[in-house]
Amino acid sequence: MMGKLLLLFVLATTSLGVVALQSPDTPEQSPTTTKKLTAKDWLSRLKTVVSESNYEVSFVLSRVGHEAVPYLWRHSVLPDGTDMEQLNLQNGPGREFIRVNQQISVFEPDQPPYSVYGNNINGPIPTALLNAPESLYGAYEFVLVGRSRVSGRPAQQIRVVSQDNTRYAYQVWLDEETAMLLKMNMLDKQGNVLEQIQVSSFSFSEQPHPYFQRVNQSALPKVMALPPTQLGEHKWAVSYVPVGMKEVKQDTRRLAISGQLVDYRLFSDGLVDVSVYVEPANQSLNQDVLLRHKLNTFLSLTNGNVQVTVIGEIPPETANNIARSLVVSR
Amino acid sequence: MTEQHENLSALVDGEIHEDKVLDALSHDDQLREKWQRYHLIRSTMRKEMPAGQYMDISAQIADAIEREPTVLAPNKRFARIPVIGRLSNKVVPFAKQSGQFAVAASVAAAVIIGFQTFNQPPESKPFVTAPPAAGPQGGLAPVSLEQTRALPTQSRAEVLETRRHINALIADHEQQVKLKSDSDKKNQENQESPVQ
Repeated sequence: MMGKLLLLFVLATTSLGVVALQSPDTPEQSPTTTKKLTAKDWLSRLKTVVSESNYEVSFVLSRVGHEAVPYLWRHSVLPDGTDMEQLNLQNGPGREFIRVNQQISVFEPDQPPYSVYGNNINGPIPTALLNAPESLYGAYEFVLVGRSRVSGRPAQQIRVVSQDNTRYAYQVWLDEETAMLLKMNMLDKQGNVLEQIQVSSFSFSEQPHPYFQRVNQSALPKVMALPPTQLGEHKWAVSYVPVGMKEVKQDTRRLAISGQLVDYRLFSDGLVDVSVYVEPANQSLNQDVLLRHKLNTFLSLTNGNVQVTVIGEIPPETANNIARSLVVSR
Repeated sequence: MTEQHENLSALVDGEIHEDKVLDALSHDDQLREKWQRYHLIRSTMRKEMPAGQYMDISAQIADAIEREPTVLAPNKRFARIPVIGRLSNKVVPFAKQSGQFAVAASVAAAVIIGFQTFNQPPESKPFVTAPPAAGPQGGLAPVSLEQTRALPTQSRAEVLETRRHINALIADHEQQVKLKSDSDKKNQENQESPVQ
């Protein structure tokens, strides 16, 4: 009991600290409204609840042109401090992710189970939004829209728009009482919903979910050793990326399916990931192609002797701007 | 007594058809009242009761029937089935008429089956295995995309090769995104380690 009280106290002080830290950043707020939480306060509440409480959430992911996919998401902190998370795809043969501290085990129907290192399961809900909202502030603006009702509960709506308006926007609804995520929409520039996550039910518990006690941690697959990334000297660069996007990976390797050798860079702003491939044009498509795969824009341009391909969940115009900014150094 | 009640209940439900129970019922006024009540309860539970007030006019009907001239000679066995209200030998039990109803019902069934088979809508749509395009909320159109640029005419082999290449790139992108969190951590480790 004392431990819980202490935890509560720590929670209260940390959230207070966040409020205090942020008030100088927002001088336009009058002192009378400082008691009201800002969008960033809500996101830090979300982060706290997601990482520290025991919960079980059912949600449905729907995408344009695809069937809705139901998921079950659980998180518990065991008495010994072990942080455990589970994400289960509930339809068809399914797919199961189990995270024990920093080891994520993946069970998929068509391949042997494997494990990787990671702080969070990479599910349909962007992990950066849940676990590191502060990392998104450079790329996105968070605006508190107001109250509404979602999943039968009063909710706070937050609008998430990229700083330079080059990416898709989001709407996020958080439960007013617990700050748990209730709904999330991904919108294109015309305001059409591209992807929707809708929580159908959630529950919190004092005790860790019994499911996690049953997980035999010693029987989980071993962590996969990834081949060391070859840092190939790239003779090119893209001079334009949207505000807040950073390069997170760079290598030269062969594509798994075709065996084609490619120069590869991965850019990310925390919410979306954009891949850029550069290959000799005569060994590649050697033509301009623009198409959409799921939510990904696929854009490939021939630029002299090289073929540059941009893939990611970004509007076609942005992909085009990135691809056209390619500078080849010889 | 309880056994009698059970039997009665079973009789109401049509579970038993024992002469003994029927006999007891036709001679016991108390039991007959129960029989009536059970039917009333059943009707109420099945929501078959009329919306208005419940009226018991069975006695009057039985009286009226008694005053009617007899038309059919009752079968001895059926005659013992008690009629709601007063027992009368002159009432033709429903069971006896069922034969006639059966004929009419079978004709009706044949007509219905015939109607169904002749009204099957013709299979107009081609068989598709792909799920229908349905967004989260109606009226969602895909952003744009399909092939927006006209491709120069290509041979079939070239088209296939193009498609294969596109698939290879998309598959690779998806794999990279999936493994991203892992590589993030690895990069951090690399930065932390003094060897790098």
